[in-house]
Amino acid sequence: MNATVTAPAAGPAATPAAPTRAGVFRRLATEPGAAIALAFVLATIFAAVFAPILAGADPYENNLRAAMRSPGGDYLLGTDAQGRDLVVRCLYGLRATLIMGLVSLVIGGGLGILVGFCAAFYRRIDGLLMRLMDILLSFPAILFGLAIAAIFGPGIVAVVIALSVATVPLMARIVRGAALVVMRLDYIEAARAVGMSDARLIWRHLAPNCLSPIFVFATLRFGQVILLGSALSFLGLGAQPPTAELGAMAAEGRNFLFFAPHIAVVPSVLIFMVVLAFNVLGDALRDALDPKLRV
Amino acid sequence: MAGQGPLLAIEDLRTVFRSSAGDLPAVDGVSVSVAPGRTLGIVGESGCGKSVLSLSIMRLVPRPGRITSGSIRFDGRDLLTLSEGEMRGLRGGSIGMIFQEPMTSLNPVHTVGRQIIEAVSAHKDLSASAAKDVAIDALRRVRIPAPEKRFEEYPHQLSGGMRQRVMIAMALSCEPRLLIADEPTTALDVTIQAQILDLLKLLQQETGMSIILITHDLGVVAEMADEVAVMYAGRVVETGPVNAVFGDAQHPYTLGLFGSVPRLDGENQSLLAIEGTVPPPFALPPGCRFNPRCGFASDRCRSEMPLLRPLGPSHQAACWHAPVEAEFG
Repeated sequence: MNATVTAPAAGPAATPAAPTRAGVFRRLATEPGAAIALAFVLATIFAAVFAPILAGADPYENNLRAAMRSPGGDYLLGTDAQGRDLVVRCLYGLRATLIMGLVSLVIGGGLGILVGFCAAFYRRIDGLLMRLMDILLSFPAILFGLAIAAIFGPGIVAVVIALSVATVPLMARIVRGAALVVMRLDYIEAARAVGMSDARLIWRHLAPNCLSPIFVFATLRFGQVILLGSALSFLGLGAQPPTAELGAMAAEGRNFLFFAPHIAVVPSVLIFMVVLAFNVLGDALRDALDPKLRV
Repeated sequence: MAGQGPLLAIEDLRTVFRSSAGDLPAVDGVSVSVAPGRTLGIVGESGCGKSVLSLSIMRLVPRPGRITSGSIRFDGRDLLTLSEGEMRGLRGGSIGMIFQEPMTSLNPVHTVGRQIIEAVSAHKDLSASAAKDVAIDALRRVRIPAPEKRFEEYPHQLSGGMRQRVMIAMALSCEPRLLIADEPTTALDVTIQAQILDLLKLLQQETGMSIILITHDLGVVAEMADEVAVMYAGRVVETGPVNAVFGDAQHPYTLGLFGSVPRLDGENQSLLAIEGTVPPPFALPPGCRFNPRCGFASDRCRSEMPLLRPLGPSHQAACWHAPVEAEFG
């Protein structure tokens, strides 16, 4: 019987190689929009980190004689109602806003990732976890921020809690979806068959293969979180005056909108640019990380 | 199965998939066993339950499937009564498994060396350098040239045959006493198939492990197995030593399988096909499950399920008409 002839089964197409880190970076750099967004994001981060050195002045020092100066002249972006240089204020404001966004994203995103993996991995609790996420999802973040501010009092902490809670269900859904696809792949079963523990299986095999959607979503979500955080501050729930935070600064400028519009416009435009840059970067990252989208 | 007791003995195993139409049996009352150092071939068409059987041994049947009755005794212990933690210790430890698809059974984001180290360190507490030595040794054992270099490579840099060798190296890294090979060569081309089968045989001689070889390829069974169990629609329809079953097949399904294999010795040029397909578990016919496709089916076959009956030394078939000669010879 060893003279049997068997038709070889057609093997499936080889799995596309994971894009390398350098490759992703190169793709980002060659896309003009993405390159500009990336450069802007990096500049923003640089400015926020080195704000005290770059600003060279105290963002809280009043100088009423120089109040409400228009942009140009001695002050590049003008001064606010207390005569504080808006360049200085914006640098510190950017810092506060980015930190607020980052902390919310790390806490909310981290919890969301955990929930997403657990839901995909332990199908028994999948329904329960995802219904919980649906409940969270049905609260508007602004409303949630109001409730938190009512409990803890307004401030950056309230904003961070509200934004974290609002991020958890979104991240959980993204991660669960990505993980469910990976869970069906053969190498997960193969890893089980060599006796790997659940925690190792999730950490070593599931997580690395879900990283692209997590990164893309985190980048996009960062822009949204900043916008929401600024909105909450603008509504008076977040950073309180005189704290230099972009949303709060825009709120302060609201009263002078007719005679010194730049006080509100400058921080608002900065928020707009930062959010736009993160959104463009997120989209570009998704295209760069997904080899199937390359035509 | 000479002399000593079996390493693995499955008794009356039943694995069902729960559905809205009730419990659908994928494995329905299967009893097979493997002696130490021997190879059991499990043959059957797609959908006959052979893969579910192998996953049942590992207790890795995907939900909503579950094992409802029977026993799986491995080395004297019933695997179905072990805790999940004890079972995890056996998987990859005393029982290794290799899969059909070497192209997708390795994680694309880790080097092959990393993945073998993981398999080893799931069972042994080794230092990083000792684990690396074990992994490179495992690669060398499966005859991968330049194992130190391959160790650093990612799965996409390897060919299908190479990857299956890596899978085997991983499965054997903790020196299992039983290797379950679920269609290990189906996805490979013919020359590579032969190499992998030769390798498995060689490794069996070196380590004395038992092998359960799941396949739909009778040629592979003839070459590799000592005993064979033919499965149809979740049940074993014929079992025995390879020589007995291949030389004197009694079940019409087994005969049909042989009729559908091309031979190179010139005889019997036209291939026989078994009409139809394996009935799905929700539409099993009454009586013998093979009766709608069987040329010999009688009224009794359509109403009563035949059980395995001994026909010779450890040769059994589940057919009312067996032995064939008695009626048709």
